[in-house]
Amino acid sequence: MTPVITEEARAWADREYPEFEFQVTSTDIARFAHATGETNPIHFDRAEAIDAGYTDVVAPTMFPYAIRQHASALVSHDELEPDGSPSADVPPLPTRRAMAGETAMEFGPSIVAGDVITVHKRLADMYEKQGRSGPLVFVEMEFSFTNQRGETVARESFTRIYR
Amino acid sequence: MSSLPEVGAEIPTQVHNPTALDLFMFSASSWLLHRIHYDTPFTTEHEGHPGLLIHGPLQSVYLAQVAEAYLADVARLQSMTYRHLAPAYLGDELECGGIITGANAGAIDVDLWARKSDGTDTTTGKARFDLE
Repeated sequence: MTPVITEEARAWADREYPEFEFQVTSTDIARFAHATGETNPIHFDRAEAIDAGYTDVVAPTMFPYAIRQHASALVSHDELEPDGSPSADVPPLPTRRAMAGETAMEFGPSIVAGDVITVHKRLADMYEKQGRSGPLVFVEMEFSFTNQRGETVARESFTRIYR
Repeated sequence: MSSLPEVGAEIPTQVHNPTALDLFMFSASSWLLHRIHYDTPFTTEHEGHPGLLIHGPLQSVYLAQVAEAYLADVARLQSMTYRHLAPAYLGDELECGGIITGANAGAIDVDLWARKSDGTDTTTGKARFDLE
């Protein structure tokens, strides 16, 4: 059987993407917090956050998702697919029908307004398995999030499955 | 909650009925440009879905929130894994809940889910909280 992952596609594996820097503002935090229905004032009010022991308004735990999404999609329009996906995330496979596999996240010190988060992104692995209705290609992406003090504030790995 | 939870304890559920506005706000705040979350004609006519999809990552936020609402006074979310099992569409009601699966001196483990009113789990996850 012909492998679905061609040499051209395989060359994407173990690929490092350019480093991305996200300067976290209180606006970014408030926007994400409102979008996810948070009501705790530590996400909106500096004085409340300081009272709670933070140095500034603090991001919700899942905020690293928004950071890494910017790292992937904050590109010019001609670097996006017609469906809005960043082209750099879509390996040259015969199918573009993707579904999400497992995501694993780890959280370190909290992210607060004023932090500068550097994202390292890597296409860690790509492999195929035979599914019931044909071949499946698994693409594993890894992200690490480091603040301006060199602390790892989060890590994420997620798998996208093409069929 | 101020004392340690017991294994088997159920987390109080949170119900979400995300509207088109909620979907757009999540896309905008996270710069998630995928059109299946805000462009209805594209999503139904081109991608063949019955309607706009509720983002998987938004559902994972719901899972973190329901666990944190129960545990944040005593423990801090340290890690979470999750997977999406079935699509959730605009108009679906999602009930998010969980159950304590482990509690010891160092950590609390929780199984989590987002469930449609027909009983289908759309996203499930496992979270670990470190005791503070």
